[in-house]
Amino acid sequence: MSRHSRSLFAVIALIVLSILTVAVGVAVGSTGISLSEVFAVVFNKLIGSDAINNIDDPTVAIVWNLRLPRALLAFFTGCALSASGAVVQSVLKNPLASPYTLGVSSGASLGAGLVIAFGITAFGGLTLAVFGTFFAIITVIAAIALATRVDRSLESTTIVLCGMVLSLFINALFTILSGLSGDKMTQILRWQMGSFSGKGWDSIKVLIPITVLGVLVLMMFSKELDVLSFGDETAASVGVETRRVKWILLVISSILTGTAVSFAGAIGFIDLVAPHIVRRLVSSKHCLVVPLSALVGGVFMVIADIVSRIAVIPKELPVSAVTALIGAPFFVYVFFKRVKRRSA
Amino acid sequence: MSGFTAMSVKNLSCGYDGTDIIKDISFEVKIGERLCIIGPNGSGKTTLLRALAGLLPYSGSIALGGSELKTLSRRQISSKVALFSQLGTVYFPYTVFETVALGRYLASKKSIIPSRQSRLEENEAVEKQLRSLGIWDIRDKTVTELSGGQLQRTLLARTFVQNPEIILLDEPTNHLDLKFNLELVEKIKEWTSNENKTAIGVIHDLTLASRLADTILLIGDGKTQKLSDASDVLNSQEINQTYGIDIADAMRKSLAFWNN
Repeated sequence: MSRHSRSLFAVIALIVLSILTVAVGVAVGSTGISLSEVFAVVFNKLIGSDAINNIDDPTVAIVWNLRLPRALLAFFTGCALSASGAVVQSVLKNPLASPYTLGVSSGASLGAGLVIAFGITAFGGLTLAVFGTFFAIITVIAAIALATRVDRSLESTTIVLCGMVLSLFINALFTILSGLSGDKMTQILRWQMGSFSGKGWDSIKVLIPITVLGVLVLMMFSKELDVLSFGDETAASVGVETRRVKWILLVISSILTGTAVSFAGAIGFIDLVAPHIVRRLVSSKHCLVVPLSALVGGVFMVIADIVSRIAVIPKELPVSAVTALIGAPFFVYVFFKRVKRRSA
Repeated sequence: MSGFTAMSVKNLSCGYDGTDIIKDISFEVKIGERLCIIGPNGSGKTTLLRALAGLLPYSGSIALGGSELKTLSRRQISSKVALFSQLGTVYFPYTVFETVALGRYLASKKSIIPSRQSRLEENEAVEKQLRSLGIWDIRDKTVTELSGGQLQRTLLARTFVQNPEIILLDEPTNHLDLKFNLELVEKIKEWTSNENKTAIGVIHDLTLASRLADTILLIGDGKTQKLSDASDVLNSQEINQTYGIDIADAMRKSLAFWNN
């Protein structure tokens, strides 16, 4: 297949796969629901088709009120994490970097920890998300501002170092907070492990617009991201205003990740893996890497959530552990295949 | 257009973290001229080149077509000046074609959604350079798989695709074998004389510099040691003092191998 048709194939295949995975995510669970029932309920709710006459009300309620929001939350969390992961890797020219490197997760954790420890309820059901996102963004902005102070040209290594230092500092505050929070410590730790359970449409209505908008804005910077992957000097030389563009991209990525993390907990690995898979298998061009990473990340996250629910019924595994358990071997497989093909 | 000034540098000083590496250098480059900057390691050649590319703060003056470089936006500078610099590690598997096409960044930014016409133009411009530099056959290879020489050519093609008025070359022949070294010098000569463009290059290899340059700027310790015709500079007392050896003698000794 030529590069062009392979890209087209990847786009279509991933869109289909995304819809299917979310549907399977809704179908699988303690009450088995068939895929056709899932689609029937969704079509009924969205466009008022009357195909649900023969489905009982509890099933409709399970699909629409419980499982679909959960599956969508997982999907869009994966999208947000992976799209911003791809962007941060390119901006920092570091294949191991992610928004977490910039302190997003430690910031969000501190925010969520404060909410839980002090029982803050300022924003109702969205309090955790609002505080988490806010602290995540503040942490990243502080890290970049610190980097700007240290090094005016905003070299990537400086950003990574400042992010890591600040991250460790905030983590220490978080550890102190959880240590002193007594019986609330379990609740804080459980939040940090990540879970999609018990979140309704309220969360979805916030997460979907932010994710879609964020990914679209990041896609508008595809060319800049392409050039930045070759180094700041190259980027500047072909006409990119590197400092401004890097600031914008890092801040948007942290807003995306911060929001996702605040809803779902500090789930790692997917943001690292998804972009690499797309780069290896499809293309390095960011007009493809950003949206396809989002889809791959979304699919991965829904699968991780399914596994976390069904692995040890009736208990749920922490999603962050599942992502690493599935992601790490898959990552190795993709790279191994690549190396073998090259040496053959 | 020959005879007009492409770039005029007056009392330029610049460096890093407040320490001047380039100290009070002045020179002029005419349109269509090829200037080589030579000097021993640590003399400030690359720093000077980066300042000319608008990548370093400086004092003094760098005039580009009548405008002071530091008053121009990044886009204005890049539409006239392209920098070929050494690339460290490439982390992501872009193809050769995609890498070269990045040189069209500014051209592609003219509209949000590129028209069919502009995409065709882009493909044509990229193909022309790929063929001219002999890397058309490896256009679908990824840059992570290339040899040093292939990578060097790819990056040079990208610089040409940018279609600047002035090209700044930082050690363009570093990873190339002798045959391609000479070919590259011819390519740059062709490009400057056919299209009336200007080249400013930092080149270590003095033989190569003498083949490429109309004018040579010899710098030592961040200052101009001599600025003149290529043969003038290469046979001067100043070059021996700057490098600390008898250059002509060293060259003759290397040549002795091939005489018999």
